[in-house]
Amino acid sequence: MAKIRTTWQPYKTDKSERLLQLTTALLFAERGLTKRELYYSITEYRADVADKKSEPSLNRKFERDKSDLRDSGILVQISNPQDAPEEQRYVITSDSFVWPAKTSLSPHQLQLLNLASQAWSMASLSSEVNQGLIKLRSLGLQPAEADLVGLAPKFKTHEPAFMPLNKAIDERYEVTFNYRRQDEQVKPRRVQPWQLQNISGQWLLVCFDVDKKEVRNFLLKRIVSKVTAVQLDHELINFEAPDATELQSAIEDLATHTAKQVATIKVNKDSSAWFHFHLDEKQDTELNFEYMDLNLLAEELSVFALDIKVLSPRELDEAIRAGFEKVASDHA
Amino acid sequence: MPKLNSLDGGSRFNFMLALIAYLERSGEVTTATAAQHFNLDEKYLREVVFSINQLSVEFPGREEIFFFIDADLADEGILSLTQNDLIQDVPRLSSRQAAAIGAGLNYLATMPAFADDAELKSLQELMSQGSGRGSAPAITVAPGTEAQYAEVLREALLAGRRISCEYLNAKGEQTIREIDPLRIDVRPDGTYLRGYCLVNAALRNFKLDRMRNIKISELPISAEAKSVGEIEDSLYVSQANDIEVTVELEPEAYGLIAEFQTVEEPTSAGEGAIRAVIKVGHLPNIAKLISRYRGKARVIEPKEARELVKNYALKVLGESAHSNQTEVE
Repeated sequence: MAKIRTTWQPYKTDKSERLLQLTTALLFAERGLTKRELYYSITEYRADVADKKSEPSLNRKFERDKSDLRDSGILVQISNPQDAPEEQRYVITSDSFVWPAKTSLSPHQLQLLNLASQAWSMASLSSEVNQGLIKLRSLGLQPAEADLVGLAPKFKTHEPAFMPLNKAIDERYEVTFNYRRQDEQVKPRRVQPWQLQNISGQWLLVCFDVDKKEVRNFLLKRIVSKVTAVQLDHELINFEAPDATELQSAIEDLATHTAKQVATIKVNKDSSAWFHFHLDEKQDTELNFEYMDLNLLAEELSVFALDIKVLSPRELDEAIRAGFEKVASDHA
Repeated sequence: MPKLNSLDGGSRFNFMLALIAYLERSGEVTTATAAQHFNLDEKYLREVVFSINQLSVEFPGREEIFFFIDADLADEGILSLTQNDLIQDVPRLSSRQAAAIGAGLNYLATMPAFADDAELKSLQELMSQGSGRGSAPAITVAPGTEAQYAEVLREALLAGRRISCEYLNAKGEQTIREIDPLRIDVRPDGTYLRGYCLVNAALRNFKLDRMRNIKISELPISAEAKSVGEIEDSLYVSQANDIEVTVELEPEAYGLIAEFQTVEEPTSAGEGAIRAVIKVGHLPNIAKLISRYRGKARVIEPKEARELVKNYALKVLGESAHSNQTEVE
């Protein structure tokens, strides 16, 4: 039987087919294609031209498609940026497109990748991670080995700030948001986001605070507004990626700060706190913690309020107590 | 994992590229093998094959067709890529995909079970190259301190053995349990054993920080445990007598929703706060859950739940007021 080809039906196709056309056209045309050529070659663009859709709306669609390709790991670049816009040629270079030669994955590695990806199954990156996993699966020809690991790590990202910050870190642009400090005051912040860190279940943004001109850490759960990109004349404000040493020293500063703050509590034997802190092994009712943030520790310990007594610092005891006073009055 | 039977536009595109690269590498494979490999429904896979075969690009004066997966063979359940001039290998990951998967791998690498896993190390390197960020990853996740206590559970799970332990339940009752371990979830709020409980004769969730004196028994896990099948990610176990509780949460307390089944999508309650209806099995538990957020979470109704929260808070305040005299045992 000959190849069956039916007439292309642009209005019934979904985005996937347009993106595949765009990718293949650009990979095929080694010198690249101008916008005018693309608007001819891609069925849906051509249909838009025929329908007399405006140039700006067509350009917006092309920009969105380029951004979708970028999200998928495919970089569309301009080969001759110095030329006039209508002469500029768009290309996808093949070395930016595929993995280094001979990359292949073993069944065990596929299983590790499954596990690493499933860690996001309940968190906001799950769709991106699944797309990555699908590509990685084609690097391994044997099926993943059966589960010989037994552990399933699960991340969570219920903070709405997570996704916009992750995008801003990736694309390196400044953002602004309102942040509620420990003293309950809400202040606007303008930052260059560097890294999202999860420490003991809490998401933390490591960033450069543009107004304070120093590296700061912000807890995602205390971001109380939307995260928005800072714009100047409708343009994003990009920044240089931090070098590894800058980031490392920011992380070390936080660790040093944490190590300096120590709390001591006394735990009732055989209580839920006793179980929680696995004290059977220590057989000691006194327990010391290093802590990053007093209020976070107060939150963690509040669950065990009836089973523990804070010995020091006094502020921790007061913070826990203040929390219960607020709860009591809120529910009076 | 259930098989996927639909993908959104971006994911479908991503899969088309991956499938072409896979077929290029693998040569002829059965549709069933390919569907299994990508964890996709076979029927959906055939639709994607059809789409790939339909693709053409118009250039002035000519039409280019890049790919063809033999249609006759496809009808017989065999996939054979007979034409492909363009995609010789697997497309790279986006920096965000690589960063997220890399964070998962780096997290695995911190667990005792993977301390000397060379294949994991080479994957970590591959992802850090793929993310284009060198040694400054976009996302890092540090493990909690609990992983070390999970090793005994993991040992039992891999050996397929029953365990026994002392268990302090959410009501504060201490019991001896026998459990057939099925899965261990390491979550930010703690580690959970998902297992078949011999007392309840059903799948139950056990929090590691409520277990002690864990012993691996000589007995293999039961046939009932083996027949449990797919375990949902959600820890929520629906009960006939669940009570619906309306809560209002500031951003600091959004995490509470993640622990519960919400009845419907939360609604905005102004100033970043949201209102949600959650299902609670044992109502007195609500007191600790709400008060841990130290005023950033409130119960709106029912009244009974508000009372429980208030009384618990007053009890703690009363206790701590006398704490100087109270000797801790």
